[in-house]
Amino acid sequence: MQTEATLTGIAQRSEWEQRAARRDAQRLRKNALLTTLFGGMGLLTTLLVFALIAVIAYKGAPTLSWEFLTQPPREGMSAGGVWPMIRGSLLLMLGTFLLATPLGIFGGVCLAEYGERSRIMRFMHASVAALAGTPPIVYGLFGLAIFVLKFHFGVSLLAGWCTLTLFSLPVIVLTTETALKTAPAALIDGGLALGLSRWQTLWRIALPYALSGILTGVILSLGRAAGEATPVLFTASIYYSTAQLTLGWETLRQPVANLPYYLAEGYRQPGVVPDHLIWGACLTLIMLVLLLNAGAIFIRSRTRRRYL
Amino acid sequence: MWRTRLFDNLVQAATWMAGGLLILTILAVFYYLFAESQYAFARKFPFGFRVALQPLNSEYRDDISMDPTASLLAAHREGSDELDDAEDATRLPLHEELVSMQPLVTATAQTADLNRLRPDELFRDCMRAPKRAEQGERFLLLAFAMPTYNGDTMELAWEPDVSFDPAYAPYEFRLRLVRAPEGVRIDPIEVNLNQQPKGRLALPVWKAHSPEEYLKGYLFELEARPTTTTTLATIQQFLKPDWAPTILYARFGMLPLLLATLLITALSMLFATPLGIAAAVYLSEQASPRVREWFKPILEILAAIPTVVLGYFGVMLIAPWLQRLFAEGLQLTSGRGLLATALMMTVFILPTIISLSEDALRAVPNSLREGAEALGLTLAERIRLVILPAAKSGLIAALLLGVARVMGETMIVWILSGGTPTMPDFSSPTAALGTLVKPTRGIPDTIAIEMGNVEFESPHYGHLFLLGLTLFVLTLGINLLGFVYRKRAQLQL
Repeated sequence: MQTEATLTGIAQRSEWEQRAARRDAQRLRKNALLTTLFGGMGLLTTLLVFALIAVIAYKGAPTLSWEFLTQPPREGMSAGGVWPMIRGSLLLMLGTFLLATPLGIFGGVCLAEYGERSRIMRFMHASVAALAGTPPIVYGLFGLAIFVLKFHFGVSLLAGWCTLTLFSLPVIVLTTETALKTAPAALIDGGLALGLSRWQTLWRIALPYALSGILTGVILSLGRAAGEATPVLFTASIYYSTAQLTLGWETLRQPVANLPYYLAEGYRQPGVVPDHLIWGACLTLIMLVLLLNAGAIFIRSRTRRRYL
Repeated sequence: MWRTRLFDNLVQAATWMAGGLLILTILAVFYYLFAESQYAFARKFPFGFRVALQPLNSEYRDDISMDPTASLLAAHREGSDELDDAEDATRLPLHEELVSMQPLVTATAQTADLNRLRPDELFRDCMRAPKRAEQGERFLLLAFAMPTYNGDTMELAWEPDVSFDPAYAPYEFRLRLVRAPEGVRIDPIEVNLNQQPKGRLALPVWKAHSPEEYLKGYLFELEARPTTTTTLATIQQFLKPDWAPTILYARFGMLPLLLATLLITALSMLFATPLGIAAAVYLSEQASPRVREWFKPILEILAAIPTVVLGYFGVMLIAPWLQRLFAEGLQLTSGRGLLATALMMTVFILPTIISLSEDALRAVPNSLREGAEALGLTLAERIRLVILPAAKSGLIAALLLGVARVMGETMIVWILSGGTPTMPDFSSPTAALGTLVKPTRGIPDTIAIEMGNVEFESPHYGHLFLLGLTLFVLTLGINLLGFVYRKRAQLQL
């Protein structure tokens, strides 16, 4: 009796159950399709990166040699190396690092401590966020108008430092602010409870805690600044000068050759610089920037191990 | 104790200084972009017309600029600001030469004053300095035949000088007959050259027998009448569809540049949005922590590839491929153009979009995910019905940030766009395809290309800053909108 009843029950339900099963199968198919699609996109991006790097490495590697990295160009740029450009890029990065790091960190502290409090700070917060997305060419224009022309720095290393500092400042400020906000409230409250002043808490507790995040932000924005030709296009760059590569106070007032500008000019004046040198310079620039990134990744992985 | 206090004060002072500097920077960027744009409004408006007196069957009927006897009435020479500066102007040949060589004569004077016309102060051309829009300009033109001329009609023909288009000057141009010679009956003539920039008018023949009689010939007046102020005219011209700042009759219409920038942005976002969000969804919802840990540095590497290198990659590998692909029927000389730029732009913007979108997706609380899973939804359904709607504000913020970055990216456009300002044309499929693959030019690369060869504080320099200001205002608006969405996303979750 019972079995029969169950069987009829199944028979009665089977029609909509079948429909449900069909629908479920359809749902699962759709699920499989979509998830594969999403995974495929991820794979595609990864492949894209590797393809890009591989092609540039393939084209640039034959040029890369110790001589290429340490010699100045010869024979009207058509031979020799790119040392003056590497040196210029390093100089630009060094000054930008020295100027932008303290300013950016203190600016981030300012936002983290006083953000959301007054109307001015809210204005500042929104503006920094907007400045972080402002095109580099606008910074180039601004640097030209104010540092090169208004302050009479001329097209020089100094003007390039100032422009690049402004360019990388907003990103550093924002990452510092975010990193400071991740400091656990318990640590900060503990510091305050132990009788530290507000600023000591900040300096001794929140800042060390956030330091790895801040450094990562600084290095990444520095890498971006190093690879970006646009801000230094009118403010600091020269294609190549045969002047002696000495370092002195007067270096500050002279334009510097740098890798991104060398590539931009190499494109603008086709035929002057042979292709293999350009590819070599491309690879050098990428390696320079990736070296910085590797530093950032290293710092992050080390601190993650320490804290988590 | 005092040391603690000193230390506190120092840190506080440094913080406030940095904050103050930030605010100052923001205000200064605004102020200087505006201030330097002022030079654009110091611009003057060049124009020029060629006028010739021709026989009916003149061989130069269609192209007056080829007629060696035509007069050029132009205000285009920067620097010759003296109204009566006659040094460079071509004098009218002597009477005898005219009689033997040139039966029909147009002559002009440096002065625009009827009473100061003198027969020995006549010139073939008159070139003055361009003027402000309020000022306008007036030229006098004498037209007469030599005694040797034996036709029975003559025609006054006029056209804009080569490369001059009356639409690019804020004046109302009028050619008017001031005075007909004695004994000639003719209806008053007044032609609006804006409506009829090129035309001809038959005139009864009138012969001048001596240089003194030149002044008694047909006296015309070409007047450039001001219609608006220089400020308004500069803005009006800025919105026109032709950018050619270095030609004689400079044109500062930024419309093609703006449209190209917007098209490149739209196209690359069209490619990057589905790719980027799908990859972000994979990364945040499907990937195992191990994969994620590997993926993040890869994204950072992609984000760190300098844009010059991306541009170079595009020009060496993508552009030739596009050229081969579309070579038939379009006669491409290179593959550089909108499509090549948009493709490399997609590569440029993908990492930003993926990593910001992933942040937005990860911010969605796990309770939502688990609740949806408990209801028996498949992963795809959870993503579509729960996670994406919950992360909507954050995703929009990520896309907006991407838009702003693409819009302002310079080197890729500079290297890959091809460098010719072109108005996009979508009237037919062929034209649309042409728009996509033929050279174009956007706002940022225009600034980068031209700022190198521009005279500082000239109107051209000012216009480049005006372009920069346009770009800044556009990206600022988009960034602020993105900021608002990000705030909203933080509040929602």
